[in-house]
Amino acid sequence: MKRSPSPGPALRLLFGALLVIFLLPSCASAPAAPAEAHIVIFHSNDVHGKIDNFAKVAAIIDAERKSGDDVFFFSDGDNFSGDPVIDRYDPPGEPMLELLQRLGLDALCLGNHEFDYGLGILRKFAARFPTVSANIEARPGSFPELRPWVVLKARGGIRIVVFGLIQVEPNGLPSTLPEKVKDLRFSEPLGKALELKSLRSRGEVFIGLVHIGYEQDRLLAQKIPELDVIVGGHSHTRVDPAEIVNGVLVAQAGSDNLYLGRIDLVVRNGRVVEKKGRLIDLSQAREEDPGIKALIAKFHQNPALARVIARAPLEISGKNALGSLMTDAMRRAHGLDIAFQNNGGIRLTRLPLAITLKDVYTLDPFGNPIVQLVMTPAEIRSLIRSSCEKRTDIDLQVSGMSYIVRADSAHRIQEIVLRNPDGSPLAEDRTYKVGMSSYIASFYKFAHQDPGRSLQTTTVDDLISYLESGVDLSVYRDVRRAFWEEAATAARN
Amino acid sequence: MHVKMNGQTIEIFAGAKVEDVLRKYSRAEWALVRKNKKRVSDAYGHEIGLDGELNGGEEMVTETHAGAEVRS
Repeated sequence: MKRSPSPGPALRLLFGALLVIFLLPSCASAPAAPAEAHIVIFHSNDVHGKIDNFAKVAAIIDAERKSGDDVFFFSDGDNFSGDPVIDRYDPPGEPMLELLQRLGLDALCLGNHEFDYGLGILRKFAARFPTVSANIEARPGSFPELRPWVVLKARGGIRIVVFGLIQVEPNGLPSTLPEKVKDLRFSEPLGKALELKSLRSRGEVFIGLVHIGYEQDRLLAQKIPELDVIVGGHSHTRVDPAEIVNGVLVAQAGSDNLYLGRIDLVVRNGRVVEKKGRLIDLSQAREEDPGIKALIAKFHQNPALARVIARAPLEISGKNALGSLMTDAMRRAHGLDIAFQNNGGIRLTRLPLAITLKDVYTLDPFGNPIVQLVMTPAEIRSLIRSSCEKRTDIDLQVSGMSYIVRADSAHRIQEIVLRNPDGSPLAEDRTYKVGMSSYIASFYKFAHQDPGRSLQTTTVDDLISYLESGVDLSVYRDVRRAFWEEAATAARN
Repeated sequence: MHVKMNGQTIEIFAGAKVEDVLRKYSRAEWALVRKNKKRVSDAYGHEIGLDGELNGGEEMVTETHAGAEVRS
């Protein structure tokens, strides 16, 4: 397939002027479109580092190409973040880059997680594949590879116009760390899309390859019925078969590389006259491309996971020490006053002296994002009380404070004492920035006025950064910050 | 942000995923979905993954897989 990239920002004005001059001759010299053409578009979205099924994807796409159809493969973003094999490769994401290249990716729409490794890595991707997003404006020179739209050439001169859009939160940014997108500005996607209607005239097939979530996909179809197809992502929606909304075919292929989307288009006399889409359940696919399968096996041997990232003077062992380490990492990464970690999320009994990336992922395998809430001491007590609901012991490890749960001899909680690290009581008349995993924030039943917000990093990412920073690990020898005292115990003390 | 699960409005942190909303709505329902005895669908009947990212105002339901018998 020939690709005809859309112009960069600096050239758009010039192109506009030239277009006026050359429009008619250009149209006159374009190859005549065949009376009828069949185009197949395969698509995936929100793969999140799950590469195993790419051997099946390759076999399916290859078989279709050999059948003689005009075949394209689109990725709808969020290829990164979700598997340490990919996320911790050196350089990050390299296996995904190589696999998508081997699969012959024709167009990539940026998802919010494409920014997770930083703009430098992302630019390598965008240099290899036509990368589209119309509602991103980059500081001059910072992301020249990004295009608002692209024109792909199918056989017989059929032009497929593809634009991209990325989701934007109410804070004006996509769901990623703000520091990762500091050179970029984002506009509201549906508003931006209205400016793209005129692209319809530039091709026979008009596609929105968008990472905005299914609900927004449907709104996009309502706003721009000129579109033939919307290929969506972000909400991890399994749309099977693809739906017709306001005359537009709307497709999305779930997540985690469990399904491959397939769209069939019939173009007759310069316009799409038939369109349908369905999902291929990759668990039912049998054929695998042996070359891709071998490549995936090689990537799974990621040597970076065996890399020693910190050396401890002693084995850090037990829930108290490991929980203190994990919460200290969380607190320091985000400038929090207090951080909590539940015992159930601590999945190792001890860390070795030479701590590898694999050890850290074994200790904290869940990939839970960190949530920040602004809380009063009364609300913090409510959280701690909730954590002890069905136990007679401590469940939450903590950083930035210590606490004592005092219970009677029947294990009923009588008092929860909160103390600053220097032993003084927490100020009852102020609020604290408190961090915790998304699991605690959603599973525990506790009072809180502030609903909170995701900080867009995971607990394990912050722990790795903390260990790599060379912090003094000797402080975790006998650390303990949370205490359970029952009446009889208290009497003994 | 606010979303709806089985008609009930859930207030949850900004950036929450489907799984977070489900856990906050009902631990029992969360357990059933994790055991693949139920699934989460959007307002249009399409299944959505537990890691699915949400915008405020979205509506979801939990439902039994066709043909599956659920004992809770």
